[in-house]
Amino acid sequence: MMGDLEDLLEKAESDLRASQTQDDILAVRTKYMGRKGLLTALLRNITAVPQDERAQFGKRGNEIKETLSGWIEAALTEAGARRKDDVLLKQKLDATLPGRRTRYGRIHPVTQVRKEICDIFSGLGFTIVDGPEVELEYYNFEALNIPADHPARDMQATFYIDDGIVLRTHTSPVQVRRMEQMRPPVRIICPGRVYRHDSDVSHTPMFHQVEGLLVDRGITFGDLKGILTYFLKEVFGPDTALRFRPSFFPFTEPSAEVDIQCMLCRGKGCRVCGQSGWIEILGSGMVDPAVFKYVDYDPEEVSGFAFGLGIDRIALLKYGISDLRLLFENDWRFLAQF
Amino acid sequence: MLVSLRWLKDFVEIEITAAELAERLTMAGLEVDAVEEKKPAFSGVVVARILSIKAHPDADKLVLCDVSTGDRVFPVVCGAKNIKEGDVVPLATVGAQIPGGYTIKLSKIRGVVSEGMLCSEAELSIGEDAAGIMILPGNLTLGVDLAEALELHDTVLDVGVTPNRPDCLSMIGIAREVAAITGKTLRYPEIRLSENDEDIQNLTFVEILDPDLCPRYTARIIKNATIKPSPLWMRLRLEAVGLRAINNIVDVTNFVMMEMGQPLHAFDFRFLEEGRIVVRRSKPGEPFISLDGKERVLRNDTLMICDGRKPVAIGGIMGGLNSEVKDDTETILIESAYFNPVSIRRSSKWLQMSTDAAFRFERGIDPQGQLMALDRAARLMADLSGGTICKNAINCCPKPIEAIRDIPLRVKKVRDTLGAPVSADDIVKTLESIEIDVRKDSHAQEETFLVTPPAFRVDLTREIDLIEEVARLYGYDRIPVTMPAVTAASITQNSRERLSERIKNILNGCGYSEVINYSFVTFRACDLLRLDADDERRNVVRIRNPLTEDQSVMRTTIVYSLLETMRKNSHAGTFDLKIFEMGRTYIQKQSGKLPEENNKLGLLLTGARYEDLWHFKDLQGDFYDLKGTLENIFDNLNIGSVKFVSGANEPFLHPGRSCSLMINDRCFGYMGEVHPDLLDGLDLRNPAQISEIDIDVLMACYTDVLMFKELSRFPSSTRDVAFLVREEMEGDAVISAAMADPEELLEKVSIFDVYDGKGISPGKKSVGLRFCYRAPDRTLTDEEVNKVHSRMVKSVIAHTGAVIRGDDR
Repeated sequence: MMGDLEDLLEKAESDLRASQTQDDILAVRTKYMGRKGLLTALLRNITAVPQDERAQFGKRGNEIKETLSGWIEAALTEAGARRKDDVLLKQKLDATLPGRRTRYGRIHPVTQVRKEICDIFSGLGFTIVDGPEVELEYYNFEALNIPADHPARDMQATFYIDDGIVLRTHTSPVQVRRMEQMRPPVRIICPGRVYRHDSDVSHTPMFHQVEGLLVDRGITFGDLKGILTYFLKEVFGPDTALRFRPSFFPFTEPSAEVDIQCMLCRGKGCRVCGQSGWIEILGSGMVDPAVFKYVDYDPEEVSGFAFGLGIDRIALLKYGISDLRLLFENDWRFLAQF
Repeated sequence: MLVSLRWLKDFVEIEITAAELAERLTMAGLEVDAVEEKKPAFSGVVVARILSIKAHPDADKLVLCDVSTGDRVFPVVCGAKNIKEGDVVPLATVGAQIPGGYTIKLSKIRGVVSEGMLCSEAELSIGEDAAGIMILPGNLTLGVDLAEALELHDTVLDVGVTPNRPDCLSMIGIAREVAAITGKTLRYPEIRLSENDEDIQNLTFVEILDPDLCPRYTARIIKNATIKPSPLWMRLRLEAVGLRAINNIVDVTNFVMMEMGQPLHAFDFRFLEEGRIVVRRSKPGEPFISLDGKERVLRNDTLMICDGRKPVAIGGIMGGLNSEVKDDTETILIESAYFNPVSIRRSSKWLQMSTDAAFRFERGIDPQGQLMALDRAARLMADLSGGTICKNAINCCPKPIEAIRDIPLRVKKVRDTLGAPVSADDIVKTLESIEIDVRKDSHAQEETFLVTPPAFRVDLTREIDLIEEVARLYGYDRIPVTMPAVTAASITQNSRERLSERIKNILNGCGYSEVINYSFVTFRACDLLRLDADDERRNVVRIRNPLTEDQSVMRTTIVYSLLETMRKNSHAGTFDLKIFEMGRTYIQKQSGKLPEENNKLGLLLTGARYEDLWHFKDLQGDFYDLKGTLENIFDNLNIGSVKFVSGANEPFLHPGRSCSLMINDRCFGYMGEVHPDLLDGLDLRNPAQISEIDIDVLMACYTDVLMFKELSRFPSSTRDVAFLVREEMEGDAVISAAMADPEELLEKVSIFDVYDGKGISPGKKSVGLRFCYRAPDRTLTDEEVNKVHSRMVKSVIAHTGAVIRGDDR
């Protein structure tokens, strides 16, 4: 009789193993442990067990009952969990379809570069200022030591508005306006729109400049080199080679044009740098004493330097844009890239 | 300016390569933009002598020549008539390449072998003469490569000469710089004249009526000249620097100008009436035909060179057709003068004649250089034309230009300006290398030099000019890099800059992208926007010299630019746009004064609300999308007092779908749908929402100071009520009614529903309000809330005449 008990447990185990769903497991439970179940029936039939074996039969029978119901409980839990997963898996979505969003907007590349430049100079203690775009000839030319009838005016093809009024050809007039308003020390930069009577692949009638001015006691050409070297290495990377070469601007003396080594050919000469290996990036110089005279600063007391650079040009170099005019056509396919 | 290296070498020894020279010049302030190798258009052509010419046995028009290259004799068949035995000629040997892609082959011409070809100038692209074989100078070595023998190889530098350096607008000027930077010596051309016995004083005289405009006029006369093409060497030089050869006389004037920087003019003396020169200003309305054949009517301030009766040249700019050197000219008057730079510049601008001469005069030529150039030209003209130079020159100098002498230059000032340890010795050596006279000022307290620049350096008048000369020749790269000490300057952040940046960030989050348009628009913009005749935005700033009509006025509104952007994009196939631009508008308040410039923000929305098609099919952006974006801006900036007042009264907006933006009773912008009637005129297909707001006004209401408000720890209670109001009553009015008698416990009222469909009587609509109540110090009981709420509802009814929905049946 004891052997029957052990056989039953073995059979039940194999039935359980074959069960997949909760229903199968419940059927196993009924088959063995239900009111008319096999185990129930066997245990109920204890009278058929010889007297001396009854105690042991009863003990083992209860053990087997507990084991079996433990197994069944565990199997039910496991099957339940499996079933929940199945339900969730049926809710599967297509994760490759595009997300639902309001597409984030883009900032114009010129503005991005402008901000980068302003941030660097703000960090060096320069204040951002602005001035009018429709400007008096006096501020745009005369007070910058560019008299009427001077050939230097040919350097900047001008849009004229009225007698004595022009569209500013550079951001430099802000220098003069600022110096008229304050005493040294002056540390300013002025980003903004400027206008020249010119239009081709590398010229647009409107473009953007940043003007910078630093006036204080004892400022030297070496300081000009220091500030501009720091700035250009911030923008173009610490390994950028650069050179300062003599040039001419009526409102600075000595004047310097600053070139960076062409990043495309690394100085070997290519189409972008016109085979020279260098790219002209900004104009600068020590403020001409004549300009100080206009704003009543004493050139024996203070000195300073000024610089101006084209934001658009830097954007072109930075992003490899071939045609300056693209910047102001505002084609969405262009804007969406920045 | 183009500079021929071969020409340069006449005046200075050059031992470095062209590339190196270009680099050194650039680093000394004479930027070399390009270096071009000049090569002949042929190869394999050598110098040869014709030994004998025999008739061709089989052709009347051909001859058979024996041609020697020194070590070999070639039989060559030739058809030219101009050759004779003994002539030295170019021989293209078998295998030679000549222009047009031809290769010379061994050939048989009518049965006779020809081992090469004799060439004309035209065939070698050396000149234009195609009539006969080119006859070479007899002294050339036979067998030598023709390009070598004629010095056809050259290197040409394109030098960008800055406006302050007119002294560098000549070969000698550039050579002087080359000498200074390479440590060589400059050689001036030697000028020896042989004059005939006829004194120029007996032939002509010069009268200057306007010495201010013409401080010096010098002249010489050449007699018995023969006009013909210049020799090859002269033509090559002119061509190398970009000038066209004309004839031996005109070429000399150009040659000397390029060599010495002094523009010259040659008159045919026989056309100078009364045989004299008068220098005066033009008379108003005076007509004049210049050398280019164009008639010009003059103003009263142009300097004219005249003879006894009439103008014969526009002084310093261009000669006249009436006194031009012709093929039969024999007597020539050479003019070498100094003209007032400002006068020349004004005239050349006004006449729109920018000639090589005017370019130099207006920048300032050497005030002492006239006689030297005159003599150089006279000698060359005599040599090339077979003429003779009349005795003496006219040197009329009523107003000598004062030379600047003894400019003090302090050594310490040089060091302080540059921040470099430049020594007194450096200064002296540097300045002397470019012919500047330097002597020590023994009276000065600090170490000072007295510096006298040569007359041709018109740019050197002040101490700082000299410091620049020292700096550029000392080398900018030798000046140490330093950082300036920061004086405690007040660093004031530009608050508009920061506000603009915040707004751009908010707009990015709302999906708007930034555009940048030109500040100028078409003069038709105001009409296209249908602005009223008295609209302030019609007071445009006009550009006097626009590039195109489409860019002829400064914009008075940003939205026109944005509509243009929309049009261009729809042509490119982009119909969905959310864009903004921040920039200025310009309004002319008073003529002759600077206009008002206002900082504006413009927005435009057109097409789909979202880009993703599969989620939101056909959801078009509308009024409330753009309004939501604006609300986001004001919310984020904590500007709470903005009101949207229906009806913007803008002629370009849909009258029923637009509103004004008010802040403290001041209108600072508008928004709305573009008027449907406008779309056609602007070539737009789809509806668009636009807005423009004044950043400066917003700026005035903006503060970046922000104070935190305590959070209530107690829950709120909400009550929803739907009110039936008149259809035309706006949401704002209902909300205002609710806020008219605010209860202390009322935290917020908002509209949660607007409905005018089925079940609502005509002329009415239902507006659902959600009231939110909260106390800071306790949880409200239902009873408390009900009490307050019923007062609120009564108040709304009292102020609006509304009925509670459901109570109306």
